[in-house]
Amino acid sequence: MKYYLFFLIVLLCSCLGNHDTIKIKGSDTEVNLAVQLAESFHNVNSDVFVSISGGGSGLGIASLLNGTADVANSSRSIKQGEIELFKKQGAQIDSFIFAQDAIAFVVAADLPIDSISTTDLANILSGKFKNWSAVTVKDIPINIYGRQSNSGTHDFVKKKLGIDFTPYAKQMSGNAQILEAIKADHSGIGYVGAGYIAGGSKTLKVLPVFTTKNEKAVSPLDSTMIAAGKYFFQRPLFQYYKADSYEKIKAFLDFEKTDEGKKIIHASGYYPVIPN
Amino acid sequence: MSVKKRENTDWIFKKIFKATGFITIALLAGIFMMLLYNSIAFFTDIKPLDFFTGSQWNPEGTKGKYGIAPLLVSTGLVTLGAMLIAVPLGIFTAAYLSELAHPKVKAILKPLIEMLAAIPSVAIGFLGIVLVGPGIAKIFGIQNGLNALNGSVLLAVMALPTIITISEDAINAVPLSHREASLALGSNRWQTIFNVTLPAALPGLIAAVMLGLGRALGETMTVLMATGNAAVMPKGFLDAVRTITATIAIEMGEVPYQTTHYFALFAIAAILFLITLAINLLGEYFANRLRKFHA
Amino acid sequence: MIKKIKYFFNWILLLGSTALVCLVLGVILWDIFSKGMASVSWSFVSQFPTNGMTKGGILPAIVGTLLLTFITTIFAVPFGVACAIYLNEYARPSTLTNIIRASIRNLAGIPSIIYGLFGLALFVQALHLGTSVLSAGLTLGLLSLPYIITTTEEALKRIPNSMREATLALGATQFETIKDVVLPKALPGILTGVILTMSRAAGETAPILFTGVAFYINGITASANQEFMALPYHLYMLSTQHQAIEEVRPLAYGTATVLIMLVFVLNIIAFYIRFKHRTQD
Repeated sequence: MKYYLFFLIVLLCSCLGNHDTIKIKGSDTEVNLAVQLAESFHNVNSDVFVSISGGGSGLGIASLLNGTADVANSSRSIKQGEIELFKKQGAQIDSFIFAQDAIAFVVAADLPIDSISTTDLANILSGKFKNWSAVTVKDIPINIYGRQSNSGTHDFVKKKLGIDFTPYAKQMSGNAQILEAIKADHSGIGYVGAGYIAGGSKTLKVLPVFTTKNEKAVSPLDSTMIAAGKYFFQRPLFQYYKADSYEKIKAFLDFEKTDEGKKIIHASGYYPVIPN
Repeated sequence: MSVKKRENTDWIFKKIFKATGFITIALLAGIFMMLLYNSIAFFTDIKPLDFFTGSQWNPEGTKGKYGIAPLLVSTGLVTLGAMLIAVPLGIFTAAYLSELAHPKVKAILKPLIEMLAAIPSVAIGFLGIVLVGPGIAKIFGIQNGLNALNGSVLLAVMALPTIITISEDAINAVPLSHREASLALGSNRWQTIFNVTLPAALPGLIAAVMLGLGRALGETMTVLMATGNAAVMPKGFLDAVRTITATIAIEMGEVPYQTTHYFALFAIAAILFLITLAINLLGEYFANRLRKFHA
Repeated sequence: MIKKIKYFFNWILLLGSTALVCLVLGVILWDIFSKGMASVSWSFVSQFPTNGMTKGGILPAIVGTLLLTFITTIFAVPFGVACAIYLNEYARPSTLTNIIRASIRNLAGIPSIIYGLFGLALFVQALHLGTSVLSAGLTLGLLSLPYIITTTEEALKRIPNSMREATLALGATQFETIKDVVLPKALPGILTGVILTMSRAAGETAPILFTGVAFYINGITASANQEFMALPYHLYMLSTQHQAIEEVRPLAYGTATVLIMLVFVLNIIAFYIRFKHRTQD
């Protein structure tokens, strides 16, 4: 009986202990990077705990609203409806862009096509073109490998091309899965974060993209062009937070801006933020 | 200690113990109230007719659709498949254990069944992804094995220990006199088992099936990992499905509190609660019949 | 002749079913342990995950699970045992007692995810405990309550009434009877129930999903209002959501192995206690 009371008191005391944790939730695109940043951050600053969860950009912003996260990782910009909800709460949202991401369109290396226009991409992904013969010499049906609807990446491609994905597009649950699928299925086309294919591959190739006939096609692996903002499918990776919790998360945000933080971001296949 | 002090202590603790009894009622009432309150909030936004007959569950689509039908059918399909596998397997195993098994064999087998029951549902779901799924894909020649069949097999594994243990109790409870009378009239052991003992244990067997069914319906992680999670109306066992439990698990983290979507998840939880409640009450009814029969 | 075939078939049916069930258990254990043992080592259980969780160990998940189970137990056991004492020692058969018993049976049948929702509504939101190991532990405590009450009541029932009557006849109050005679005698049975509850709580995932578990924490969870990592959730994440699913598959197997070993050790301890004290009666 006495031991039990003792344990209870110890437990309650630890409740009051001020171990500040920065809760980061959201985008699955960014979660891997966030984990690596947090791992290194701990070596630099072992007083601050960082807890990270994935679940999609939607989950991150919802958690920020609900107060169960301090930082929302989002690979898409915040929606108007979400801004309204924050306004209703009377909370002010700030954002921090910590990396640029480029979406690469990937096909099998033996497909006879060297670059692709955004119009053709729109027609393929919306289901208008069902066969590769519409854009190249090979006569085989097109198989699309994409993401699910909670993916910011999925959302971004949809918005940029202004289309709705064909219901026949297969919904994989991650970038790695998409690449595996196209390796096995040479009639496939898919979209992944450039970091996933930056290492190069013998069996896959990345299609440079152009918007008009006269323009030179830009590859998502070309960091100079990305820095100039010239690739059609490049996007900033956001971190949203409530303005009044800035003090709490400042340490981690500062770490992301240091050389070490930038090194980690680059090693994960993302591009540095374009300074305005 | 003086007598008065001891009597006071006794009186205090009697009150304390009585109070804890009310905790269980409070808990059940609390859960029920929470589900009811949030469901009512939901139905002020969405018409009940749309909820029950709508054929699409797509809350985050351009026009939020909140039809529970695909989820109900998915849940039903997976559970039905699980019962088709687990009920015969479970009852026959229980019959073996109580009628045919040598006591030493029984002493080994019963702990084994308990071990099966102890395996966490995530581990079973994990095996659905790495072992059963690829197996199903190979057998049926399809892309990947995350579908209702996978879910059914895994749920059957989870429901089996419950069904076996309770069925075995029910069969054991059939009085020896029944068996002896049957044998005395000239039947052999098989006729006795199938025509006398098992039918006599029927109320208990039904209770076992009901409780196994309740277990399968309420399972979350296993179906979440193994069924492919497509919230559409399934057409067969090889289709990906999404049960009510998986829907709650997937979507709860993504919703801002106090929105229609949030309330919707409580509404489907309420439906699930009512279904499992009904099944458990049915199971209890039959378990009582068993008790009265042999008391 | 045909009869003999029929009887043979019956034998196969019953024996075969049992063999199939044992085979299933065997396959489960074999697959997980054979592929998992390769990953399990001292460094696996004592190190943090590194390299975006594709290497390293699962220490924070193990600590998180232990801490979570601890909190669950210290909240569920006193209430559960007290309720069982009330039902078995004090309560007289009445409508109230029937309602309490019915509540317990129904609570036992409620799906674990609904407990998770309740924990979210009550502990995370209403009581402002936020997503933390405390919220999750309390939620699991509620989930475990019916089980502890039932097993404790069974243990208490096994104590013969003659003992209680003898103690009362010697002038003890009812409370003293329970405290000094009945409880100590029932302790092994109660302990078995508590340990089995712990093993169940360690394996639960659904209730902790929205009440506090996290994908990655870069330190050991030290206070009750922090988020935590847990073995079952870690296994779930490694096998479904991780960026490099194929690469971390061995780690997933290792996590599954550690989780099942933990659960089995607890079960074996409970079994041993039960066995040892059954032979004493």
